[in-house]
Amino acid sequence: MHLLLYNIVDSIRSLGWAGAFELLRNGIVLGSLYALIALGYTMVYGILKLLNFAHGDIYMVGAFLGYGVFTRLGAPLSPSLSLVPLLILTFLAAMLGAGGLGVAVERFAYRPLRNAPRIAPLISALGVAFFLENSVLLLTNGNHYNYDTFELGGNPNTGLPGTLFHRVFSVAGRPVTVVQVLVVSTGLALMLALTLLVSRTRLGKAMRATAFDREAASMMGIDTDRVITSTFFIASMLAGAAGVMFGLYVGETYYFMGFLAGLKAFTAAVVGGIGSIPGAMVGGLLIGVVESFAIGYVGGQWSDIVIFGILILFMLLRPRGLFGSRAIQKV
Amino acid sequence: MKKVLVAAALAAASSILVATAWGSDKAPAKVSSAAAATIKCGKTQTIAIAAPLTGDAASLGLQQLRWAQFFAAHWNKAHKMKVRLVQGDTQLPNTAQALSVAHQFASNSKILALIGPAGSQEVQDTVNVYKHAGLDVVSGSATRVALTRGKTGTPRETPLGWFYRTVPNDDQQGARVSAWISNNLKKKRIYIIDDEEAYSQGLADQVQTLLNAKPGFHVSRDHVSQSVSDFSSVITRIPSNTQVVYIPWQLAPKAQLFFTQLRAAGKSAIVFGSDGTFAPGTFNAVGSYVSAFPVDFTSAALKAYANQHGGKSEAFGLPSYTAGLVNATAIAKACKDGTASRAEVRKYIRKTNLSKAASLLGFPVRFLGKNAGASQGPGDMAAPADFAIFHIESGGKYVRVG
Amino acid sequence: MTEFSETPGIPEAPEARIGVDTWVAEAEERRARAGGPLALLARGVEAMPPAVRMLVFLAVASTLPFWLNEGDLFSYGLFTLLYATLALGLNVVVGFAGLLDLGYVAFYGIGAYTYALLSSNHYGIHWPALATLPIAMAAAGLVGLALGFSARRLLGDYLAIVTLFFLQAFVAFSNTANPTVAGKGLTGGPNGIANLDPLKFFGYELTSTEQQYFFLLIVFALAATALFFANQSRTGRAWRALREDPLAAEAMSMPVNRLKILAFVIGAATAGLCGAIFAAIEQATVAGNFTVAVLITIYAIVILGGLGSIAGVVLGAIVINVSFQFLAPQSGHPEVKRWLFYGTLVLLVALMKPWYRGAVVLLGTVAFGFAAHAFVAAIAPASWTSGTAVDAGSASTAKAIADWVIIPEGHSSFNTYAYIALVAAIVALRSLKGWWRTAGLIPTLYLTAVVWENVLAPNPAVTALILFGAMLIALMTVRPQGLLGTARVEIV
Repeated sequence: MHLLLYNIVDSIRSLGWAGAFELLRNGIVLGSLYALIALGYTMVYGILKLLNFAHGDIYMVGAFLGYGVFTRLGAPLSPSLSLVPLLILTFLAAMLGAGGLGVAVERFAYRPLRNAPRIAPLISALGVAFFLENSVLLLTNGNHYNYDTFELGGNPNTGLPGTLFHRVFSVAGRPVTVVQVLVVSTGLALMLALTLLVSRTRLGKAMRATAFDREAASMMGIDTDRVITSTFFIASMLAGAAGVMFGLYVGETYYFMGFLAGLKAFTAAVVGGIGSIPGAMVGGLLIGVVESFAIGYVGGQWSDIVIFGILILFMLLRPRGLFGSRAIQKV
Repeated sequence: MKKVLVAAALAAASSILVATAWGSDKAPAKVSSAAAATIKCGKTQTIAIAAPLTGDAASLGLQQLRWAQFFAAHWNKAHKMKVRLVQGDTQLPNTAQALSVAHQFASNSKILALIGPAGSQEVQDTVNVYKHAGLDVVSGSATRVALTRGKTGTPRETPLGWFYRTVPNDDQQGARVSAWISNNLKKKRIYIIDDEEAYSQGLADQVQTLLNAKPGFHVSRDHVSQSVSDFSSVITRIPSNTQVVYIPWQLAPKAQLFFTQLRAAGKSAIVFGSDGTFAPGTFNAVGSYVSAFPVDFTSAALKAYANQHGGKSEAFGLPSYTAGLVNATAIAKACKDGTASRAEVRKYIRKTNLSKAASLLGFPVRFLGKNAGASQGPGDMAAPADFAIFHIESGGKYVRVG
Repeated sequence: MTEFSETPGIPEAPEARIGVDTWVAEAEERRARAGGPLALLARGVEAMPPAVRMLVFLAVASTLPFWLNEGDLFSYGLFTLLYATLALGLNVVVGFAGLLDLGYVAFYGIGAYTYALLSSNHYGIHWPALATLPIAMAAAGLVGLALGFSARRLLGDYLAIVTLFFLQAFVAFSNTANPTVAGKGLTGGPNGIANLDPLKFFGYELTSTEQQYFFLLIVFALAATALFFANQSRTGRAWRALREDPLAAEAMSMPVNRLKILAFVIGAATAGLCGAIFAAIEQATVAGNFTVAVLITIYAIVILGGLGSIAGVVLGAIVINVSFQFLAPQSGHPEVKRWLFYGTLVLLVALMKPWYRGAVVLLGTVAFGFAAHAFVAAIAPASWTSGTAVDAGSASTAKAIADWVIIPEGHSSFNTYAYIALVAAIVALRSLKGWWRTAGLIPTLYLTAVVWENVLAPNPAVTALILFGAMLIALMTVRPQGLLGTARVEIV
């Protein structure tokens, strides 16, 4: 035990401020992705009280759709469009495709279970997850595909970083690259858009009403079916965007990537207080940063345990999550 | 009416199931009778392949399956006796499924030989079931040394004469790699990262031990989960004066990601991979080294395989081709008199003698009957079976340098 | 009245249909219960008194080793019993007490590792099974106590996440952390601990599958009986009260926290026992045996069988395990699987009402198929129709299939497009009505056959999981309360 602590202190010292900034930067970038996926979890939960375990796989399909368009347009070696339209098209394809898939999943697997006990759609969600994961495994033969964006926008085959990996600014000698800024800012923009949607628009009001009390909302003339469909669409769109960004930043897409990401995002959503949108955002960033620092300071062997230990302690100390509301029960 | 139809259908389905289970192996045969059974050699013989075909290790198992299927197609074109594969999904790392597969294969009297299982722990857990069934385990990827060679403190893990592998073991690979790093690359600051799987840890342990024993070497060890794609925090931990990063991983795409992320972080260490990362077209990290068997790229078979798979080939699944060849050759010999039994096939597996050109591994294949060298035992391939070192040149070309 | 319920898991009032009186609402529920063959099965099982049910089950199960071969006995018999016993334990936590415990499989693992440490050469300890099995139960139970105690304040989904963390931590601990204790890695890392002693009772070693099967059958019977009586007891009634309305239970001065912890401990102990037995059967234990995938299987069994019902758990275990093992490629009989697949499709179509619609669809599909095949053969190069059906059983069958279904040779992107087109077609069919739907069914059915021959049959392992996932969705949508479930269980 003391050996572990010694190692941690040693790592902190040897990495210094530069290392600490690097870990923080990594954590924020990955955390933004987790936050986007967690938002989807939280939105669906808020409206249907359903833990959509298939959400991670929608993220995975979004990543693949983006990859398909990306390579169809010739990227990364010989793109037929310049960088910005290429990225926009990739994002659109992934987001719309993922959104459509989310809507289809809702119609098929969750709508018939609208009035069933809460645990039934859980199994249905697992069935969907099995189905999506293994369909993609079947179609891709288990291959891992690489967006390979390192040289994108630069000179191919030179080993030099392309536009996406150019330095935007540095802190303590460590660079922050274009793609990292892109991920964080797109994530923030999407989260902001979502918050505005939920608080300022009619659809948002309808969503909040349906989340509060579905019966009453339908009695007040809100088409709850449409609201639920829109919620799934938006949640899946966010997941699709996260998938593409993961591909651009990290590079890889394969059939199993949704499982782990979904688990982490689910954690983030609950830690932030499930059902709460700001909770999901903060939860995602928190998980990303904790993970980054744990791996950076503790190292591979114990980092997982440390992460889970921290999370368990956190949940025991604050049982309803960061932004979760206190249970007020009227009888 | 509907209910009657459905009930009838259910009854029909369950009776099919029952009839199948009953009639399939000709009788409620116990394993021993399947083991001792002598079957008539028809036109097609059955070889079983046990590999992880779904789950998180599916990309590895599918590589092995593809090479095995490539072998079957290749063999069937050139021989009158055809070979048919029966798949078993072992869902590594859930060894319970491997056990279930083992029992199913054991009871299937049509199966005369076995390719796999893939993981060393799977082999250890199922070898006794296969032994009871009279089947040799011929694995293309179980590289743990203790499976064939016991040492002080670690006894041999498989019963003598029942386990063969068509891939050199961890100690052999580790010895070559550490020798190359110290003698040829002459680098002393090494950072080793394993992917927390048994294959990787065995190799990493071996290289770490060997390099630590040399004076003046600075060796650090780290781990990263196989499911991780974002290595940024692990890369942060790597000191900037590290000269070589050794990544004995199973998944070549992850190695490629690691390489690009390492360069993106501005660190210029040489990356050294293992046979799991040997994949021209996928791992094309210019300037890196990879240890693998001395595969001959100009051979027609390898070109054909690459053509079938989008121009990319890889070496992780290649030994499964060889395992299939070992099995099929033994079955063909056993079938010369018209009937064959598992015991006969085993006899011929022990006497395997494949030429360098046929094995595709870059060396002829014969199996050892007793201990040899510092780390080989019965079931390993005899010399000159060993690993070679490849250098990745510009354009992603693999060039053998050692 | 509705409760202000933003905290997850606090049960809301039952979905009362507005504007309808109680009798009508209940009648609808009764009618919903009465429909379908599954409900017939459910009523049949419920009609038997519990003792008779158990005896019938034991009698049937005991005959299995006499007409199944060893491999089938292992996969279909032994595994079903193991999962059924595991699911019984989970049933106590989720079904009786209503606690969403997502870390259940960790107790399974704790039991297995405890047995491994006490019955192997790892530390040279070889205690007899009569000692190690209870110790494994106790170890798992103690950890369950600790977890239940620390998590007693957590509600619903928050409890779920903490227990899930616990499971992940356990897997990370045994697989990766593997701390060095007494000179060796405690859990053996990814290699696990191997060469475990088999179960030995009074000098009698359980090494063959048959022996293990009968032993497991006895254990299962004992566990089921014990849990049945627990359910009938005061504690069982207290659990039911806790499950239905925790607030009311607390108001009636039931020791809610103690009940929760008790449920946790009993569930954990059952899992620990299963883990020890499983380790003894496998004669090894590896962290990979205790992952989320196994958890999902057990949950599916419990929920499919109907929460809170012991007979339901058994039925669920049989359905899930048998179908999964049958679908897996190692079970052999690929021709049978093909005919079962086609047969199911034909059956589903034949069930359309009125009957002539089904006939039209079937005949239309056959005709459409021949037409499409001829069309493609005429205008496309020969490679588009030169492939062969995989695992058809006989050459003539293969040829017959290849004459009807389009099987291209070497056009791998065709597979992707066909599959995606099929999924899209099924989704689109949902929105069509009447004769449009009937018409749309014809190309969809043909496309299904094409996808089966080209994509699914050559990849039996993945197909098994895809069909399994589809089966879960179908079963849940058809009967959401599970096969034998009666209670609307809300997670506390």
